[in-house]
Amino acid sequence: MTTLTHDPAHSVSAGRPRDGRGSRLAGPGLGGTSWLVWRQHRAAYWTLVAVTLLGVAVMVCLRGQMMDQLNALDSSPKKSDSLPPDFEMHTSRLFSFGSYLGYLPILVGVFLGAPLIAGDLESGTVKLVTSQSVSRLRWLTTKLAMTAGLIALSTAVLGAVFNWWWSPLRGRSDTLEWTSSVFFDGTGIMPVAYALLTFTVGVAVGMVLRRTLVSMVVTLGIVGAIGLVWDRFRLDLGNVLSVSTHNGVGSGAAPPKLPDQAVQQGQGAYFLTSSGDKLDWTTCVAQSEHTKAHTACLESKHVIGWSIDYLPVSQMHTMQWLGAGIMLAVTAAVVAFVIPWGRKRLL
Amino acid sequence: MNHSGMHHPGGTRYAPPVGYSAIEAYGLGKRYRRGWALQDVSFRLPAGRVCGLVGPNGAGKTTLMGLATNMIQPTTGALRVFDAAPGSREAILRTAFLSQEKPLFRRFTVAETLRLGRELNPRWDQGVAEGLVSAGQVPLSARIGTLSGGQRTRVAFSLAFGKRPDLLILDEPMSDLDPLVRRELMATLTAEAAQHGTTVLVSSHMLAELQHICDYLLVIANGGLRLAGEVNELRAAHAWFAAPGGGPSPALAPHRVVEFRGEEGRQGALVRLGGPIEYGGQAEHPTLEELLLAYLRSPDAPSLIAPGAQVGDIHDVIARDRNKTVTA
Repeated sequence: MTTLTHDPAHSVSAGRPRDGRGSRLAGPGLGGTSWLVWRQHRAAYWTLVAVTLLGVAVMVCLRGQMMDQLNALDSSPKKSDSLPPDFEMHTSRLFSFGSYLGYLPILVGVFLGAPLIAGDLESGTVKLVTSQSVSRLRWLTTKLAMTAGLIALSTAVLGAVFNWWWSPLRGRSDTLEWTSSVFFDGTGIMPVAYALLTFTVGVAVGMVLRRTLVSMVVTLGIVGAIGLVWDRFRLDLGNVLSVSTHNGVGSGAAPPKLPDQAVQQGQGAYFLTSSGDKLDWTTCVAQSEHTKAHTACLESKHVIGWSIDYLPVSQMHTMQWLGAGIMLAVTAAVVAFVIPWGRKRLL
Repeated sequence: MNHSGMHHPGGTRYAPPVGYSAIEAYGLGKRYRRGWALQDVSFRLPAGRVCGLVGPNGAGKTTLMGLATNMIQPTTGALRVFDAAPGSREAILRTAFLSQEKPLFRRFTVAETLRLGRELNPRWDQGVAEGLVSAGQVPLSARIGTLSGGQRTRVAFSLAFGKRPDLLILDEPMSDLDPLVRRELMATLTAEAAQHGTTVLVSSHMLAELQHICDYLLVIANGGLRLAGEVNELRAAHAWFAAPGGGPSPALAPHRVVEFRGEEGRQGALVRLGGPIEYGGQAEHPTLEELLLAYLRSPDAPSLIAPGAQVGDIHDVIARDRNKTVTA
């Protein structure tokens, strides 16, 4: 009855899409769902950008100071490979800044990941968005992709600059071992993979729990647990090598030297027996007061030299890529859970 | 959306032919953990109608609207919006939904909220949306969080209207508005709907809110459909018999009594007509409210789905879909 006969007005409005798109292009870059995602999360995004820029600026500045002293050292007449004690200020700055960077994945998971979807579920705006003309999937993927992209960019930049700061000291300081979480997790691909993992874990938790604050707390717990597991297993990714001597273990026979930048593993130097067994330092420790008795004890166990386990620095890259591969695989698994869940149960 | 337009050239899209359905439900049911929210609901809502969805709180109104907007998946049965699945691109483009909570991004300004509509809807009409907002003197630069409840509802309305939907679904839209704004928005709603041939499905637990704007009615109670059909059709199918004594009387014989009532000094029976009747004297037309209350109070009375509101078999739809894919 009513009104089924109108069309001029509507054929005009049918032409609108093109106009709409035109004005989008003229806009400030973003359109459609990306505009919405940017607008909704712009405070968080700007914070991330600001933190990144600030971190880069601080690192550039501190590296500059460090390089001044390092160059002065290198040009001084009594040049030596090891660093003087007053250089410790710079190494400890490097190390503590690196440990702060190590908190970044946790912060990303808690403050970017967890509220990303939980916030919309809690405030109901997910209903607002899904009653527009875009599909849930498109909105969800835009949200995930834009945030993940920004996180990847930011962590990659921070990791690269941190690596650049560290590289002049590689092999020159005994205290800065590449196997420490600061350098292993803070350089190369690792910070990117780690942050993406915590981010998606946060998103998944928020999606399931649907409450911002609760999911932030739970994400903190889960990410903390991931950190503990990772700390425990990080070095198992490497292939431990050993270096041995066969000149006995007497006072004249020094333990073997490790290659440059290699990091000793296990419990100190082992006693190597003729059969190839490794005995730890507690062997014959009761007789260690008397050199003769000690030697006799060791001889009775056929000890022929020292052996030290180590991880060479050449494995660092492989181990990092392997670790990042595992983290990204878990990330992909979480995303594979998040997307179908979001399509079906977002409301 | 351009290619979907090609599948439905010309008329079907913007000026559906008379008899074309905006919503068809077939044996629709939804079960939550605490039980069935909606069970075995079948009806059709012809395009171009303003339809009231009425029922007590918790009757399943919101569930039905959620099913029509693809926010909820049915446990049984199926629902079609303009002959398309609720989640399909075409249905999404043609349907606008204003949920009860009217969620908006609190930190967005009004202008940004309208931009959200523009960015996410290809058929967006900025003029309509801005007109609605400015009619309420809501400043475009104000943040949503600083607006009053009524102003926020107005902005939510403008988002729904700006989408230029063919089917506009409003869940309890007026609950937090003062009477003046309520009246004004209702007038806007009917004017817009009439001008553009929009089908409107609007829910309320208060019939009084709706009876002046609706020409179609769906009544649900306890998860089941009680009445469906054109308002005039429904009223014409019933009569109110004044029966001072109460109880059965020969005049009621050919009809089915929906409810006996004896209160407020007006005693009688509301009957569904089973034969010809002469109005005047004992019998008179029931008001819509009387009709509604009678059905809600008498759960034993059989539901009445007017012929125009009945759907065919679900198999018809499946066959129709099959034909469509063959011809497409």
